[in-house]
Amino acid sequence: MAESDSFLHLARPLGPLLAGSAPTTAPLNVGIQPQALFSILDHSLRRNADQERVIGTLLGTRSEDGTEVEIRSTFAVGHTETTDQVEVDMEYQKQMLALHLKANPREVLVGWYATSSELNTFSALIQNFYSGQGDGTWPHPAVHLTVSTEAGKDIETRAYISAPVGVTAERAADSAAFIPVPHEIRYGEAEKSGLEAVAAARDAEERSTTLFTDIEALERAVEEVLGMIDRVSRYVESVMDEEAPASIALGQFLLNALALAPKVEPADVERDFNNHIQDVLVVSYLANTIRTQMELSNRLATAQLTLGGESTNAESGGAQRGQRGKGGGRGGHQRNQERNAEEARA
Amino acid sequence: MAEKEVPLTAVKVEALVVLKIIKHCSQTFPTTATGSIVGLDVGSTLEITNTFPFPVVEMPAESHFDNTAPKPNPAAAAPRAKANTAYQAEMIRMLREVNVDANNVGWYTSANMGNFVNMNVIENQFFYQKEMNERTVALVHDPSRSSQGSLSLRAFRLSPKFMAAFKDNKFNSEELQKSNLRYQDILIELPVEIHNSHLITSFLHQLQNQTARSGPTELPASLAALESSTFAKQPILAPNFDNLSLSIDPFLEKNCDLLLESIETHHTETSNYQYYQRSLAREQAKITAWQTKRKAENATRATLKQPALPEDEWQRLFKLPQEPSRLDSMLNSRQVEQYARQIDSFVSSTTGKMFAVKGNLLPGEIAK
Repeated sequence: MAESDSFLHLARPLGPLLAGSAPTTAPLNVGIQPQALFSILDHSLRRNADQERVIGTLLGTRSEDGTEVEIRSTFAVGHTETTDQVEVDMEYQKQMLALHLKANPREVLVGWYATSSELNTFSALIQNFYSGQGDGTWPHPAVHLTVSTEAGKDIETRAYISAPVGVTAERAADSAAFIPVPHEIRYGEAEKSGLEAVAAARDAEERSTTLFTDIEALERAVEEVLGMIDRVSRYVESVMDEEAPASIALGQFLLNALALAPKVEPADVERDFNNHIQDVLVVSYLANTIRTQMELSNRLATAQLTLGGESTNAESGGAQRGQRGKGGGRGGHQRNQERNAEEARA
Repeated sequence: MAEKEVPLTAVKVEALVVLKIIKHCSQTFPTTATGSIVGLDVGSTLEITNTFPFPVVEMPAESHFDNTAPKPNPAAAAPRAKANTAYQAEMIRMLREVNVDANNVGWYTSANMGNFVNMNVIENQFFYQKEMNERTVALVHDPSRSSQGSLSLRAFRLSPKFMAAFKDNKFNSEELQKSNLRYQDILIELPVEIHNSHLITSFLHQLQNQTARSGPTELPASLAALESSTFAKQPILAPNFDNLSLSIDPFLEKNCDLLLESIETHHTETSNYQYYQRSLAREQAKITAWQTKRKAENATRATLKQPALPEDEWQRLFKLPQEPSRLDSMLNSRQVEQYARQIDSFVSSTTGKMFAVKGNLLPGEIAK
């Protein structure tokens, strides 16, 4: 991955600067959200058999000063490449962009991606198109993201911005100096559980998995924690047996972690535990009671007609009964809620 | 086609779709987000391979004036809006050009604590199953439940029985009794499976190995160095430890609120029904009175040798009240069932956690 590459960023004007036409080349940080990366990989899988690489548009947000770019989504753009010319479906790109912006008004065009690490003349051409005025990202630099998807090799992601290069304006139009910029994969809180589910399919033969129920997820998390505790205690043991090198820093870290354990009086624990477990169980009980009551009352309301002439009486009686029971349930419920609220306040 | 006969039994969702839906739903949370899903229909499995969100049409301000009902959510109704059908057709046409499986297979929506069983969802799914394609599903993603720990993504379809009933709007007691439609029969849940492409599998493995591959590392020189090193940062694919959290009160409170809301709805429905019953009884009493009166009149006329007056005129004179639709209360029951299940599942894991905590803090108790 490109994170391991180190590079020095020199911001300097290059090539002939048409007055005001060059996008800035100030360094920026690129954050990539996983779904954008996943859709690039998906697009790469769906390329035509004879295509070396596919390209697409990157969309996302840019911070006020333009130094932070977050890539949120992408869409594929068709293009054909031969040895001496490249053709990008501009019309398609424009229409798709319009469609996309309709649904995501907050996202803007930030650049483009290609599914090979190679940078060539065509890359420069496309880059200049994306960073140009009008439809491009001007005055901000366009971000070029390469994701190599070559079989048998690691998937490499790299991010670049470009600076104009070339002695004349004509030469500058089809060349660009790609400047690598740092990038990282960022994922939000919301995606965590999704990624976890996706990652669970990682080791399965058929590459698929079913979703976990709450209790299964809990079990997995507990097992994971147990595994980690085991690893740490093995390490500590081996240090005590003088098999592994000791480290003061690690010791301090572990001590700090241990110090996080709360000191509570057993009586307090007992009390809190009892209060909470009662709340939980009561809510569960009431929820199920309400469900049963409602079902009963609805059943009585619809299923009474077999009784013939007495139907009306039986029905209203049933409905009333259902309601009375419900009233009780509700009262209990509110009481419980009040208790909850009190606890929250306390 | 022969394969059309195979009923859908499972839904296979690509990782890409999962992440895209999560992104869209959590961005707009807590308002509802909706979008379209595309994919392939293979035998009895529906493979969902891509998705795109629906644009939300901002309602002009003046349309909110005459609203006594809760504020309408434009996004919730989006899947069946005319403008979106065009948007969807256009988008699918565009996606076809870049080799995406361009078949519409349904739509997705976000929910908040499982409160998705409502008229909007039913109508949207009805629209899809009727107008677009019988083999479509509704994916429901619940960001608030997903943040509790495990991902909540579920697939639903309307049962054929309910489709038939909804088409003719047969929701009075008589019809319901005839069709024996219960609230459990409204929605059929299909099992959801998550599927990764080869590339994504390899990418995930690579992410995992990133730290492991760099070989044995030097022991950190100081505490600060350790805390700022890469190991202290949370790895991207670590299991989600959020579900070990012990904060249960917000969840319970939210659920209680929702349940109370459902009870209110139920109460309104029952009073509506009772009102109907009373007015029906009143009308019927009036009709009987009228009929006896007419009979008596006819009897006197018969003795006077006059021609009898028609006895079925009451049909013109009296109008029986319309029976309120039972659909709302059915949906409400289904919703309450949903809440109850949700609470059950929550309680099962919470009690476990709580006993674990107690056992940890009071080690002596266990030994006793």
